[in-house]
Amino acid sequence: MMYRTSLLLLFLLASGVAAGAGAQEPPHAAAPARVADLRRMQPVSGDARAGAGKAAVCAACHGAQGVAIAPNFPNLAGQSATYLYVQLKEFHDGLRSDPVMSGQAAALSDADMRDLASYYAALAPKPAGRADAASRGAQLYLAGDPAKGIPPCQGCHGADALGPRPHPSSAPPPPWASWPRLRGQSALYLAKELADFKSGARSGTSNAKVMQGVVETLDAADVQALSAYLDAL
Amino acid sequence: MLAQKGNRTTPKALALGLLAGLLGMQCAMAGDTSGTMRVGDMQYGNGLDLRGWTPMLYPADPDGTSYLHPGMLRTPTGALYPYPPMADAGRPLGQGDWTYAGLLQFGYLHVGGDRNAEYFRQYDDWKSGAVLGLFALDFNNRKTGSYVDFRGSRISGDDQFYRLRGGRYGSYRIEAFYRDMPHTVSTSAYPIWNGVGGTDLTLPAPLVAGASTPAQVAAASAATPRRSIGLTRTRAGLGYEGVLYRDWIGSASITNEKRTGTRLWGGSMFFNFPFPDNGGVLETVRPIDFRTTDINLSLRNVGKVWRFLATYNGSFFRNHKDHLNFESPFRLWNVVGTPQVADIKNGQFSLEPDNDYHNLRLDLSRELKGNGQFTVAGAWGTMRQNDALLAPTTCVGTGGIFIAPPVNYTFQCANWNTTAALSRKNANARIDTGLLDARVSFHPTAAFGWHAGLRWYREDDKTRYLAYNPLTGQYGYISENGSQGSVVPGETGIFDSRNPLYRSANVTVRNNPFGYTDTLFELGGDWQFGSKSSLGVVYTFDHNRPKYRERRRVDDQRIKFDWVSRDVIGATVRLSWEYARRDGDRYNYDPYEQFFSRSLPGFVVPANGIAVHTVADMRKYDLSNRTESKARVIITHPWGESATLSATFYGNRDRYDALIGRQNTQTTGATVQWDWQPTPATTVNAYLGAESSRMGISNVNDADGPDNGKALGTIGQTNPNLGGPLYPYANQWWELDRESNRNAGLSFSHDFGRVRLDGSYNYTGSFGHVGYSYATIGALAYRDPTAVAASGSGFPDNKYRTNTLDLGVNFTVNRSVGVRVFGRYETGAFSDWHYAGFDNTLSYDHRIYTDKGGQLHYSVSLVGVMLNLKL
Repeated sequence: MMYRTSLLLLFLLASGVAAGAGAQEPPHAAAPARVADLRRMQPVSGDARAGAGKAAVCAACHGAQGVAIAPNFPNLAGQSATYLYVQLKEFHDGLRSDPVMSGQAAALSDADMRDLASYYAALAPKPAGRADAASRGAQLYLAGDPAKGIPPCQGCHGADALGPRPHPSSAPPPPWASWPRLRGQSALYLAKELADFKSGARSGTSNAKVMQGVVETLDAADVQALSAYLDAL
Repeated sequence: MLAQKGNRTTPKALALGLLAGLLGMQCAMAGDTSGTMRVGDMQYGNGLDLRGWTPMLYPADPDGTSYLHPGMLRTPTGALYPYPPMADAGRPLGQGDWTYAGLLQFGYLHVGGDRNAEYFRQYDDWKSGAVLGLFALDFNNRKTGSYVDFRGSRISGDDQFYRLRGGRYGSYRIEAFYRDMPHTVSTSAYPIWNGVGGTDLTLPAPLVAGASTPAQVAAASAATPRRSIGLTRTRAGLGYEGVLYRDWIGSASITNEKRTGTRLWGGSMFFNFPFPDNGGVLETVRPIDFRTTDINLSLRNVGKVWRFLATYNGSFFRNHKDHLNFESPFRLWNVVGTPQVADIKNGQFSLEPDNDYHNLRLDLSRELKGNGQFTVAGAWGTMRQNDALLAPTTCVGTGGIFIAPPVNYTFQCANWNTTAALSRKNANARIDTGLLDARVSFHPTAAFGWHAGLRWYREDDKTRYLAYNPLTGQYGYISENGSQGSVVPGETGIFDSRNPLYRSANVTVRNNPFGYTDTLFELGGDWQFGSKSSLGVVYTFDHNRPKYRERRRVDDQRIKFDWVSRDVIGATVRLSWEYARRDGDRYNYDPYEQFFSRSLPGFVVPANGIAVHTVADMRKYDLSNRTESKARVIITHPWGESATLSATFYGNRDRYDALIGRQNTQTTGATVQWDWQPTPATTVNAYLGAESSRMGISNVNDADGPDNGKALGTIGQTNPNLGGPLYPYANQWWELDRESNRNAGLSFSHDFGRVRLDGSYNYTGSFGHVGYSYATIGALAYRDPTAVAASGSGFPDNKYRTNTLDLGVNFTVNRSVGVRVFGRYETGAFSDWHYAGFDNTLSYDHRIYTDKGGQLHYSVSLVGVMLNLKL
């Protein structure tokens, strides 16, 4: 017993020395990234008319009526105002990075962001298309793939991809308004965003943390199928 | 508006939570369990850390349980989920997909004060010295879902656990474990014998078996050094569970448990109380040397319509010490005063036999139209033991009493101390069980459902043994190794139709193969009122047919109501009430004649008849008519966003329809608990609990002497009725037992960042009182004036109390290193009249005791320092 005790004490002492040495070392982990906690996010409102006056520069990429001029840009028309505001805020605060948008959002005030968000939310969305309801993308969006651990997207983004439908619950409500409408977004843009979630390029909010868990389950074919379905929806 | 915070991957030095294991919080994550008994043990922990993984619970993850919902979520009934521990992302292992994370916590423990206090050591092997708090090492492959983890903790060589687990999520799991668990029964035992722990207890010089005086025994006892009595439970196991083919899942496990040590035991050489100097009552120590091997196999299939489960459970018990021989220091004297011809000075116990248990079970269930489900289960089991039987006695020479020709109650030990004296050499004992259980349930609407079930179970004891000695042609067995028949003439324990001295001896000659068949029908419904209230009603009819008991049929009908509302002024309230009534066919107070020698040919009923088996108005509590009611209220009130106040009130009432026997029992209790977790860094919990119970018993003393009716030994002894000559009303007595228990606990923890504090205080107290009253002194066993004067109205109160204060502080040195300093101070008090006077002596006339019982007062402290290294 004494022998074992001594051995352990020696080990403890040696570990203490090692620990002391370790304390001198600089931290080897990267500085923690900031994350915006959206869980208590309330719907935002702004002055859509004022927003229209501030949207001229946006139209260059996102189109005069909020429908993008090219498939690498998102459509903003009819999008959730709260989602749009959160994205501008992320670009503004450096939680999300884009060569163009980071610079554009840096100069915006909080009121500007609310007004712009309200303006684009009030525009008529892109007309519905004709998606293949029997496609793999439709199956993934509506039912997921339990065997691969893929949850159905409609659970948060709505069966018609026009955003979630809040339902009553005794649990604290999630930030419904901050989740985007996906219908009609281009396949190219959607695939890029899913890739950004997967790579961590989009990880600056609690919502992004949810999406990171989802995209972990998607392979390239799944991403392609989903994006094509939503593009055509 | 947008709160900023650090992400969750920040590594921090994990804090040791030694004493937080007692905090009683975070019940939802009570342990790093195996999750299933199919593989391994359910829970790994020890006195240092009851959870077994407390150091891994800190720091808490401020993100809580969800990235979607703000604040802490609650269970449907309103209890808060705790903050989960911060997940450790781990470090890469080589160039592949594997990562690893680990924690090593070790340090030094110092125990001071009454370190051998019985209640302090009961389930912990506390020692001053080095301890391994926790060694945890996890390997994960997030790409494949594969994992390997190891857990280990060591307080001492008799108090430790190690577990290795690996597998792939959704595919298979393998687990191996080893653990030692101490169980101390006494820390103040003074056995006078040599050979404690073995099968032969011998007396040390100068004591001589059968020839020592009480004074010599008392002196030997006083000189015996103190020692502990207890055992160590060593378990090891290996298990597998995994997908075998498509939807077929199989499991297999083997667990081996060794129990080694000692236990306090008896050692009767017949009675000593009424006749001083004529018998012996000994408290001995028996060995524990058991091994139990459990094998569990299962195969299940979960299809869309059918579900199937087949299981095999086997349990194999082996006792490596099947008997206990002991020497008695006292000489026996017979009660008639004739010269003692017998020299009975040894005793023997037959200890537990090896036995095997097998059980095969098949469960099938399928979905039915109308949102229904049908399940049926069938099982067959068998328990068997076939050990070699021991000879009826170990005595040598002559036993019994010689009075005068022809009154010769002696017997020759040589006719009984060999296995040739047995009717067979092996036990050949067997109990078979069978089960059929069918159940159907439907939920035709969202607001209504019903179910019905029928369960049939039989336990059939096939063991038949007749105690017959082919060497002598006699029946029965030698009582108490020959001592009883050497103290009281004729109480040898045998029947012999050819011998006038034994042809009227009514002794046990056959085993009683108790068994029963139970059929249970259940019908229930549940109704949903709105989204927040529901009512459930269940009726059960339990029809039991016992074998070889006082009743052939016992019916128990029960109805139970449950009402749950999740919105009573914001609280969840659960109410339940049940009422049961039990009755049966005619009660036969003596169904046991076939097991006694009076059922054998040649038995001669004595002139005064056979003394009745028991009073006819006795109703054994498991068979008597009874009404029972139970009520329970559970209230869970969410208190703001971060606190929960919960309370439980409950009561049980039983009334037995019996003139003699158990009369009633009742239990009333309440608990109140407050849990508060205002931030991930702070927890506070408070708990109060109290319970009281009562039990009333009615009984009657035999009229066994001239001063209380004197019917025993007369024709009156054949009258079984209360109020008759053998059981007069004047000899009635009543017992009222009262018990109360109280518990209180307060705990807190707060994480300041580099320092985390935790503490708790726990109190347990119990009180027990055995009170009695009696019609006249004829109810008392000893009716001498001194005993009557001292009888009073009850035994002294039994009391037990402990107070435990735990404090701990954790310092974070850097991300990988932390230090924990902690302490415990525990006091206790114990008072039990069973041990009264043992502080002075353990020796009384021809009685020698071994255990002095728990310490009347003790205080003990435990201080430790631990180093935490994150690996």
